[in-house]
Amino acid sequence: MTTNELTRGPVLPAPASGYRSRPAKKRRPGTSRISSLRALVWVLPAVLMLAVFVYLPLAQNFGFSVLEWDIYTGSQSFIGAENYRKMFADPVFWHALANNAWYSVISILFQVCGALVLAALVEGLRHDRWKQIFRVLYFIPSAISLTVAGLLFYFIYEPELGLLNAGLERLGLGDLTQSWLGQENTAIFAIIAMSQWQGFGYCTLLFAVALQRIPSELYEAASIDGVGPVRRFFSVSLPLVREMTGLMMIVTVSGAFQVFNEVMVMTTGGPNNSSQVLGTWLYRSGFVRNDFGYAAAIATAIFFITLSLALLQLWISRKRRVEW
Amino acid sequence: MLKVRQIGLAAVAAMAVTLTGCGSSAPQETADLAAEPEYSGTLSILTKFGGEPLESYFSDLASEYMQMHPDVQFELIQETDQSIKDKTKTLTASQALPDIYFTWAGDWAANFVDAGLAADLTPVIEPGTEWGDTFGEASLSAFQYDGKYYAVPLYNNGKFMGYNEKIFTELGIEPPTGFDELISACGTIRDAGYEPIAFGNKDGWPALHYLQQLFAYNVPQDTLQADFDPETATWEDEGYIRSLEQFSTLVTECTGSGADSNGVLYTTAQQALAEGRAAMYYQEILEFDTSAAEGTPLSKDGFGIFPLPVPAGAKGDPGAIEGSPEGYIINARSERAALAADFMEFVTESANASTLSAPPYGQPSAVVGAVTADSSSPSVVKGIEMVNDASSTVIWLDSVTVPDVADAWLAGGEALISGDSTPEEILSSVQAASEASK
Repeated sequence: MTTNELTRGPVLPAPASGYRSRPAKKRRPGTSRISSLRALVWVLPAVLMLAVFVYLPLAQNFGFSVLEWDIYTGSQSFIGAENYRKMFADPVFWHALANNAWYSVISILFQVCGALVLAALVEGLRHDRWKQIFRVLYFIPSAISLTVAGLLFYFIYEPELGLLNAGLERLGLGDLTQSWLGQENTAIFAIIAMSQWQGFGYCTLLFAVALQRIPSELYEAASIDGVGPVRRFFSVSLPLVREMTGLMMIVTVSGAFQVFNEVMVMTTGGPNNSSQVLGTWLYRSGFVRNDFGYAAAIATAIFFITLSLALLQLWISRKRRVEW
Repeated sequence: MLKVRQIGLAAVAAMAVTLTGCGSSAPQETADLAAEPEYSGTLSILTKFGGEPLESYFSDLASEYMQMHPDVQFELIQETDQSIKDKTKTLTASQALPDIYFTWAGDWAANFVDAGLAADLTPVIEPGTEWGDTFGEASLSAFQYDGKYYAVPLYNNGKFMGYNEKIFTELGIEPPTGFDELISACGTIRDAGYEPIAFGNKDGWPALHYLQQLFAYNVPQDTLQADFDPETATWEDEGYIRSLEQFSTLVTECTGSGADSNGVLYTTAQQALAEGRAAMYYQEILEFDTSAAEGTPLSKDGFGIFPLPVPAGAKGDPGAIEGSPEGYIINARSERAALAADFMEFVTESANASTLSAPPYGQPSAVVGAVTADSSSPSVVKGIEMVNDASSTVIWLDSVTVPDVADAWLAGGEALISGDSTPEEILSSVQAASEASK
């Protein structure tokens, strides 16, 4: 079977009656080419914008990553893969990568799995008023800018005056109080916790929209068959929001590898580089250590990590697409 | 296939554009400071006076200058202490430095001098010239490289322990003169219910300020200066280990936050002193008028200062004080260099220097005679006198060393406070960073 046959579909016999289908309108020669050109003109501005603001900087960044660049004199010298060799031998780079990995794993747990469960619970409420109230309540943190949320949580975590330690003291859990952002073993997790608080509501809202799109007949049929709420969630809701789940996974994981603001505001990567993530280490390498070539190499690594994760997830979610 | 080839060609073209700069540097131009200034055009200035109460200083002076020279306009870029680092580097990388820009002394200024981005001000500002003689010689020499002067020093600075006089009097404590005496006083103060020394190291550099002063005391001066130079640095003197141990003792015995200090802002610590909750806080002269601002409990209790006490048996300079002037460079590539120099001369005129030294600005001008009991607060006057009388001054650790070494000290200071690294481990990481940066 050739490709043409596939696109044309099966050949049907001519009707027995005298009916004849209307002959297909003959296109004037060159019409197809004109409409193609017209389409190209329409998409050209977007393509140009993408090329100038996305692809060119990407190519430039790769160019910078093979250079030693003195920002003061402006001199640039080609050093091949030296910055990449340095990156693979840099313990802070690997620590930052591990922190990003923690960020994505915890974000998937809370912002994808947790948010989906919460959305299902909210959508399962009988009264619309309660649904609306909960949606608003969960969404409010997402309306706060990350920088503001970071500052807010900085004061919540403050070891002497902060709300968290004061609360623990009141609950008789004084032994648990500590400098959440000042200790190497807690700093990154304190930041991740803030990030979950901030992003959780947004994901819940998106899942709620996806759940609302599922035809109610499917739930009714499941109820008639005596299916309980838990089984209904796993057998009806979950498969039918798979595309949204895939999308949320991509967004969450990509976001986790591009995290920057909250770390800069809360710890600037300290103490002792314990809360560095790739974004902040890139920034520190360039703007503090004056090593812009190395910073570009880290940026290239971030690009390839997020690109491959996104492609992998797209491939997985396409393979399991469910349609109704 | 054609599309793939086209995209590939486009990418290669972009790379080629990027790589054409390899091995090249921007053409050098020399600013003509001796020329008669042409009073027209826009003068761009990058200041470190962003935010209140400092922001109005340059804008007021610019307005005054524009009244004298109506054809001159100003573009003021006012940044804070933290943001100016990024802003300066971004402008440098994009070759868009303004006509006048802020600088610290040490390695920071040396980068601009080496790259030909700082105008040689020697003909107009060296000692012996009319303008140059208005400054203290030590302030000018902080920006002297290879015998030439490259920046206009605007104000001096130094680091001192500020203390609450009422608490000290109540407890019968005299300002300590030895390091052990300080540690012992901390116990007395703590027993009385006060935090002995307020300390916040969220930004990392407050620890470096303690360390640099202790290095100046514990490490012989020649060794210290050799270690600041990346070519000769070894960082092997035992004084470094001793300083790290002393700092660790101070954090444990004297601060309220102890190992938690990495999670506390330095402004929170400053506030603890201002509100009378803490007895001491190690601070720059520039902070004095903020700590003891009018209406604060500290201003009523009385604000005193003393240098960080010298440890017994120290092998460095016991009369050294940490601090250095901060100044402004005139861009060597500026088309209005002569006008820029004229404006900076106006900024450092006696009356304007006195205004800078007085509250609310409280920035002790580098101009001789500007800091007086009439214009400045007593603590600022005393601080400047002590800096002037110091046997030597030592520049901030994070601006006198190359960035990789400064960064290793920064991380090390944090690790020492949290108890995650020993002094030996920290010094070893600094030595590795120093080797790598050679």
